[in-house]
Amino acid sequence: MATPIFVTAASIAAELHQAMLEAKGLALTAKNARALAVRAGSKTVGFKAITHFIDELASDIIRQSQYINGVSEHLSHNAVALWRASTAAEKFDWIATQHSDNIASLHHAMQSCYQQREALSHTLSRGLRELEQQLEEGDKHIRTANLIATSSKVEAASAGDFRNQLEVIAQNITDTADKIRAHLSQARRLLGQRQKHTP
Amino acid sequence: MLATTLYEDGDHRWIMFARDPQKAEGIIDTNQYMVQSGDQAILLDPGGIELFAPMLSAVLKFVPAEHITHLFASHQDPDIISSLGLWDQALPNAKLYSPWLWESFIRHFGMEKIEFCAIPDEGMTLNIGRIQLQFIPAHYLHSSGNFHVYDPKAKILMSGDVGAAMESTDAPLWVDTMSTHIPKMRKFHQRWMPSNEAKLDWIRRARQLDIQIMAPQHGRLFQPPHVQEFLNWFEDLPVGIAIKG
Repeated sequence: MATPIFVTAASIAAELHQAMLEAKGLALTAKNARALAVRAGSKTVGFKAITHFIDELASDIIRQSQYINGVSEHLSHNAVALWRASTAAEKFDWIATQHSDNIASLHHAMQSCYQQREALSHTLSRGLRELEQQLEEGDKHIRTANLIATSSKVEAASAGDFRNQLEVIAQNITDTADKIRAHLSQARRLLGQRQKHTP
Repeated sequence: MLATTLYEDGDHRWIMFARDPQKAEGIIDTNQYMVQSGDQAILLDPGGIELFAPMLSAVLKFVPAEHITHLFASHQDPDIISSLGLWDQALPNAKLYSPWLWESFIRHFGMEKIEFCAIPDEGMTLNIGRIQLQFIPAHYLHSSGNFHVYDPKAKILMSGDVGAAMESTDAPLWVDTMSTHIPKMRKFHQRWMPSNEAKLDWIRRARQLDIQIMAPQHGRLFQPPHVQEFLNWFEDLPVGIAIKG
């Protein structure tokens, strides 16, 4: 049985919430890296420069995750409203076949319900498109994270006594990026199924 | 959905909607009522979400949608009012009268357009067209905030779960003999009604009313002398039995 879209949207919101938590961890990694780079002095100038990018990237991911999370939650509410309107519309359709004497008196409520269903459906489609675009943006952040992780490893290799510690940090960036990517992928997979869904 | 006119005097009518042959199995059978006077009508305990479509279809055979100006929910149970979210789409200008106690709970069924009108604990009256209905307190019978509806002109008391019996959908509409009907009511009343004190308070109120029809939300309806026989039987019945087990 197809999952209702309001469940899908809520699930996407949950994935993005997890991605945001990972990004907060990334921000902490950036702070640790900066502290280490300061202690290491001139041997880690390159790494120190990279920590600014890590910090900025973490902030971007947090901001974007929060935004997508909000969009998803709004979509979920919207989808529930659409489900209610659709349910009522289906009941009205059935009532219309029953040839009740006063069916004309329902005309206004029925039209209003159908219009509401149409408007909600339109809003939902627009929201889903926006969600798709935002998730693509998220993928760009992951590509950036991978570049930063690679550069960090290169810089760590020339950091002398601090090499091991900086390599741990570089690996941490890679691991966090992987986790965020997994959450984004899961969100996109959920979103990709929406075509099959009925609200 | 079977529709039965219980009372008719000019444009003042009581219609009962019940015994839906298409009702899904496993759902308790319920009696819904509509009181109409002039161009206003109130639905009493309009029912669960599963009953919405057949119920609205049946109601429209009697009145146009804009004449259904009021809804009444005796308490918060799903078989009473879980259809609210759909009525909200069908009757955006209607008012729902229900115990004040349950407002924030009943809103969980979905109510954006319909206006909630809280009934205070002591009850109140409501004008529908040219008649006046009384909301009679029936707290703890079985719900902690609970009302019945009395129409002094038609002399009908909609008694909610009081007088309810568990029967099949093809059961007769009226109680014929109390001796055969009592076994169908006993367990329900003993288990669902929690308070002997509340029961006696309600019986005292009911005895002050001139009741020609007592119309519960489940099962058959009572006429004299069965109304008085029911009150006597209920008076002697110990309720709230679960805690004695």
